[in-house]
Amino acid sequence: MESAEVEVRLLFFAKSRELVGRKEDTIKLPIHLLPAGLWEGILAKHPCLQPISDNITIALNQEYIAREETEPIVLKEGDEIAIIPPLSGG
Amino acid sequence: MSGEDVVAITPDKLNVEEITEMVKCPQAGAVTVFLGTTRDNFEDKKVIKLEYEAYVPMAEAEMRKLCHQIREKWNVEKIAIIHRIGIVPVMDASVIIAVSSVHRKESVEAVHYCIDSLKSSVPIWKKEVYGDGSCNWKENKECDWAARNTDSQSS
Repeated sequence: MESAEVEVRLLFFAKSRELVGRKEDTIKLPIHLLPAGLWEGILAKHPCLQPISDNITIALNQEYIAREETEPIVLKEGDEIAIIPPLSGG
Repeated sequence: MSGEDVVAITPDKLNVEEITEMVKCPQAGAVTVFLGTTRDNFEDKKVIKLEYEAYVPMAEAEMRKLCHQIREKWNVEKIAIIHRIGIVPVMDASVIIAVSSVHRKESVEAVHYCIDSLKSSVPIWKKEVYGDGSCNWKENKECDWAARNTDSQSS
């Protein structure tokens, strides 16, 4: 069954920002999807992120989500999804 | 008492005296302060500056989570975690953590925990800019999805 889609915000930081060439974008994604599907959707729109895809994590509305999590996530219009390359604060 | 915690991301030069004053209180017999400072070398390359960026609202939220974790583990009085972003020249502090406690053991352990956890969970990044014009995004060894950690899992 085809799931309805919503438009969400994408934020890029550090190396992902440089690869994409911008800080922000929007993307249409299914309302219900697994974290792995979220990664796939983002990489399909921004294939330039492929070389670092094993070394990014994602935050949904400022909370980390695990790529291997098997519980589906539920997106709503305007959600904020951030691409988080390896951290180097401190 | 989370009201005693100060967390901030700022483009301004960090003032260690000011941040130390934030956590002093009459009942505390100890204040532990950690400064992370910019090194002038990486392997054989000369580092001329570091550029930091943060996902500011999430970074501040993660820093507040660290304060809660510290208070679950240790009996401390006040906590301040301040991280600088933008260009940080060599020898300047990029981060200052200050914790006060009645006796020193708690604040020393809490600060150690705090800097290690900050490196693994707070969304902040630094790029080293070298004397030859090249640059490199750094990766903390404490970060689970850094290349050195994901490579070791797959081999």
